[in-house]
Amino acid sequence: MKNHTVTIRFTLNGEPTTVEAAADVSVLHLLREHLGLKGTKEGCGMGECGACTIVVDGRAVNACLMFAPQLDGREVLTVEGLRAEDGLHPLQQAFVDHHGVQCGFCTPGALMSAYALLQENPRAGREEIVTAISGNLCRCTGYRNMVAAIEAARDRRTDK
Amino acid sequence: MPDNCRTVGKNIARIGAVERLQGRPVFSADLSLDDALVLKVLRSGRAHAVVKDIDVGPALAVDGVVRVFTEADIPGENRMGIINRDQPLLADGRVRSSADPVALVAARSEEAAERAVAAIQVTYEDLPAVFTPDEALAPGAPAIHPDGNLLFARRIRRGDVEAAFSRCAVVVERTYRTPFIEHAYLEPDAGAGFVDDDGTLVIYASTQNPHYDLTEVTRLLGVEKWRVRIIQAATGGGFGSKLDLNVQGFIGLALYHLRQPVRMVYSREEAFLATAKRHPLEMHFTTGADEKGRLLATRVLITCNTGAYGSYGIAVTSRSAVHATGPYKIENVEIESRCVYTNHPFCGAMRGFGTPQAAIAHEGQMDLLAQRLGIDPLEIRRINALRTGSVTATGQKLSASVGIGECLQALTPHYDQARRQWRQEPSSPYIRRGVGIGCMWYGIGNTGTKNPATARVAMDREGRVTLFTGCADIGQGSSTVLTQICAEVLGLAPGDIRLVVADTGLTPNAGATSASRQTYISGNAVQTAAAKLAAALLEAAADQLQVPRASLALSNGEVITGAEKTGCVSFARLAQMLHDQGVSLEFEGFFDPPTTALDPATGQGVPYATYAFAGQLALVEVDTLTGEVRVARIVAAHDVGRAIHPENVRGQICGGVAMGLGFALMEQFVPGSTLSLKDYHIPTCADMPEIVPIIVESEEPSGPFGAKGVGEPALIPTAPAILNALADALGKRIDTLPASLESVLETSIATGHFGPREV
Amino acid sequence: MSTEYIRPQGLDEALGLLQERQDVTILAGGTDLMVDRRSEKIRPRCLLDVSRLPELRRIRTRDGVLEIGAAVTISELLASGTIARMAPVLAGCARRFGSRQIRNVATIGGNVAHCAPCGDTIAPLLVHEAQAVVAAPGGTRTVDIGEMAGGPYQCILAPGELIRCFRLKPCPAGVDLADFQKIGRRRELAISRISMAAMVRLDDDGGVDFMRFAVGACTPTPHRFREVEDFLLGRRPDEGLLWQAGRLAADTMIAITGTRPSAAYKQPAVQGLFLRMMSPLLQPGRKSHA
Repeated sequence: MKNHTVTIRFTLNGEPTTVEAAADVSVLHLLREHLGLKGTKEGCGMGECGACTIVVDGRAVNACLMFAPQLDGREVLTVEGLRAEDGLHPLQQAFVDHHGVQCGFCTPGALMSAYALLQENPRAGREEIVTAISGNLCRCTGYRNMVAAIEAARDRRTDK
Repeated sequence: MPDNCRTVGKNIARIGAVERLQGRPVFSADLSLDDALVLKVLRSGRAHAVVKDIDVGPALAVDGVVRVFTEADIPGENRMGIINRDQPLLADGRVRSSADPVALVAARSEEAAERAVAAIQVTYEDLPAVFTPDEALAPGAPAIHPDGNLLFARRIRRGDVEAAFSRCAVVVERTYRTPFIEHAYLEPDAGAGFVDDDGTLVIYASTQNPHYDLTEVTRLLGVEKWRVRIIQAATGGGFGSKLDLNVQGFIGLALYHLRQPVRMVYSREEAFLATAKRHPLEMHFTTGADEKGRLLATRVLITCNTGAYGSYGIAVTSRSAVHATGPYKIENVEIESRCVYTNHPFCGAMRGFGTPQAAIAHEGQMDLLAQRLGIDPLEIRRINALRTGSVTATGQKLSASVGIGECLQALTPHYDQARRQWRQEPSSPYIRRGVGIGCMWYGIGNTGTKNPATARVAMDREGRVTLFTGCADIGQGSSTVLTQICAEVLGLAPGDIRLVVADTGLTPNAGATSASRQTYISGNAVQTAAAKLAAALLEAAADQLQVPRASLALSNGEVITGAEKTGCVSFARLAQMLHDQGVSLEFEGFFDPPTTALDPATGQGVPYATYAFAGQLALVEVDTLTGEVRVARIVAAHDVGRAIHPENVRGQICGGVAMGLGFALMEQFVPGSTLSLKDYHIPTCADMPEIVPIIVESEEPSGPFGAKGVGEPALIPTAPAILNALADALGKRIDTLPASLESVLETSIATGHFGPREV
Repeated sequence: MSTEYIRPQGLDEALGLLQERQDVTILAGGTDLMVDRRSEKIRPRCLLDVSRLPELRRIRTRDGVLEIGAAVTISELLASGTIARMAPVLAGCARRFGSRQIRNVATIGGNVAHCAPCGDTIAPLLVHEAQAVVAAPGGTRTVDIGEMAGGPYQCILAPGELIRCFRLKPCPAGVDLADFQKIGRRRELAISRISMAAMVRLDDDGGVDFMRFAVGACTPTPHRFREVEDFLLGRRPDEGLLWQAGRLAADTMIAITGTRPSAAYKQPAVQGLFLRMMSPLLQPGRKSHA
């Protein structure tokens, strides 16, 4: 029996990327095991926790719920691609400033959800922020400081 | 509080936040080891059975399988458990729950390991199984362990309960029940290991207690402690479940035999099945008060279902008894709490150790008494609140830092406003609003046993300071807080302190990250160690500068002379000088809270050196037509002694409120049914109320800078407050958790709120 | 054995492949498929990715009919002005569907074809009297949305068939209520315990002159409850009447499903949710939209 792999070409954190992988592995597996990007976390493997959230063509998705070939031709941003020229991305800095990180396992996923939201709507209000990160479970923070951080990042963007 | 501190009490940036925000590979599952074998466990899938035979042959035939281990491969003692040692790493001829590990596979790939696990042939002979404490304690019940199914009982006796009840104006009696709860930390258990050049087995793990892990792993392997090194990887939450050995023993066993890198990562399903749960408790409370609302007596019988193994069951049982009075003075008590084995997967530590359950009961009783006596719920708590000089049910006289009164005071304006206004203005005719209070006390550290911590502070020749602590930061922020304490004592900025954390090869033992103990206990150890270094520097500087030591202070890496700043000498210079003289600048600090063991018959003693206190206020809206509940607001007042890092404290409070809200309204682990996060729901961001955290600082004289702890207290009052608010809204209590859609609607129907309003 | 992945460029190619091969699993968003793959309920041999077929990606109106491509995502439903205008009930459902991450990927076609009793889009489609346009080997056939599921998780489509789009009757002008409601164990990322979709219009005298009402997650497959519609048609809703109608909804559920353990909750909750959902009709002059 022939062992199929699929060639997947996409843009990963700004870099054109080509990778061979079995068709039925998840994007999460592809990122962590084939591409060595460990920032995207597996918390449940079934779309219930959001720890594996990445941004595909500008939208937040669960990497565990996508088959790897579904990335073909897409533009993908993971937490490793989230940065500013001078270091931390404003969202990351806001999470530091507003104490939005406790254990940190849900953090990359929550950041990516927040990033996608603010790309889509730079003036997102609190309710939209709450909705946008409601697919990102956190057991540590009670979400309050995460919401505060995202609001601060939004305000910093819109001030400019 | 006077604030002369430069770092303590300030919200410095959290240590470790940046690497987590950048997604760096710091968690166990992120570690890349060359050619690491994958470990997977076969679990029994049956509640109670004799293992007649394990045939690993078919598994070994699977391509990519390296080895399959059974109990025969365990070179040391096949027994684990931090309090009572009753749990085998791999089945010892018998399985006592469906989660019990039977065999361990090491394979070259995930897929091969999975196939091999499926291929192992086990022959079982089923035994009768018991699932409730009643079944387990019934005459003729199958004994799950040699000494029977009653693992432990804690009794507390004080005064004369019978006589006191006869003097009560009102006595209320009630049974409260809580379900199994899953910790649902975001990071499923994981670890990895390799054999070092010198033959040491190095194990990275997601853990709350690396030094305990070391003890257990070396005992399982029958090797000296120096042969194994446990390093805590970044740990994505624990909440008590990562106090047990989860992957560490398996990794150790595989390393011992195979001497090549291995990794083990639980799926969410396996973390659900195989790790500890919060004990379900049944709590029968009888409480009486006089006509003025003063508590006179309580009689309590608590039964804890610990499942197949003890884990922390004894601690949970003991703590549930000690805390059963709540933060109130009651002179006559008769409390018994029992810990019972059943054939469910085991229960262990979870944030609060039985206190969150007990608080459901004592706070329910307070509201019932208030209602019967026509006293305001806040008032009855004020009347009975412990204060300095009060004597607890275990006969301990509280000498300081009893902040429950201040917490209630802080809630009062919020409470009055909520009762008078908010409660009266429901947003729809089908909505009813309720206001409830929950209070708690919580003894910091382990119950009536030694639980010390050691820390080490060292200064190198260049004057740089390193703090060595075995304290595992699992997200609660201990590394930040301990650094602040160290920096404060030495007059340095937190960024000047190098940290070495939770590595049994390098750090002294700090004990478990549990029982809200690390700020208080490790904080004291760090403070002591740092103070010794400070003293050495001051002494050397006094010699150098030829000034009295008392006139000197530490500031920004220098020793300065007090007021005039006439002279100064840098740490670097002093360090160089002292090192050159052969003087060691490495100091240890040690702290063990002064406690005494509880008397087995009466429970009298000093179980804790200090207690945290808290009160929370819940504002809830109930949809009387559907049973949906919205928690609108939680005001949370917490006496933490002193907030070393106020934002960390608020973060703990908000996280605790989230967990408490889940406990009250939606969480229920049903063995065999709730298999993953799809079936077991924890609150999302959208479920969260507005939270108003209030920090109360009733200084603890024995604490570092006056600090106590907050990790578990954060969670404890939330569920009682919500349940009391629900009762206020509907006029009838729900005493069995969770207050689900089903039970809230049932209550709404029973109280006549379900139906048209004729608006 | 490993899995193949094919992403056809056009509908014809997709249909050709579907007819040629028997071992094809249709992949749209993949959110349900991936979960089934993880639990090894399925082990697809060939994934046919239809999520980018232009023919399946459109939202448009033709001859007064609203046409929604099967591969339109839930987020796209939510963002669409056409949907907001012509199918506000569906928009309301999209708002409450899964999480944002899932809405961004999951498709309406996938939700329908998965045939979960709690599939959130079904009840709204029922009140729009939607039909699935199915590309079949012999051409095209249409299937009423209520006929798509033979039972829980049992799609009646034959191998080789593919949903192209859904045709919906738009929300009639002047409706007084168009709403979707859902009860879950939490506010977001929740599986529906009960969902309801309704459109109601009152005449000048306040009597119900148009009503469609469907219930999800309470019956093996979501159902339109015509008994309830018939009961209210021509009558002026007051609270007591709506309460009676809610009772009828609950009885209808029991008649279809039987008394299961969950009925202890669902029976009163259906009645209660119905009253809550319809209560805006009690305030004259108020129009309510999801």
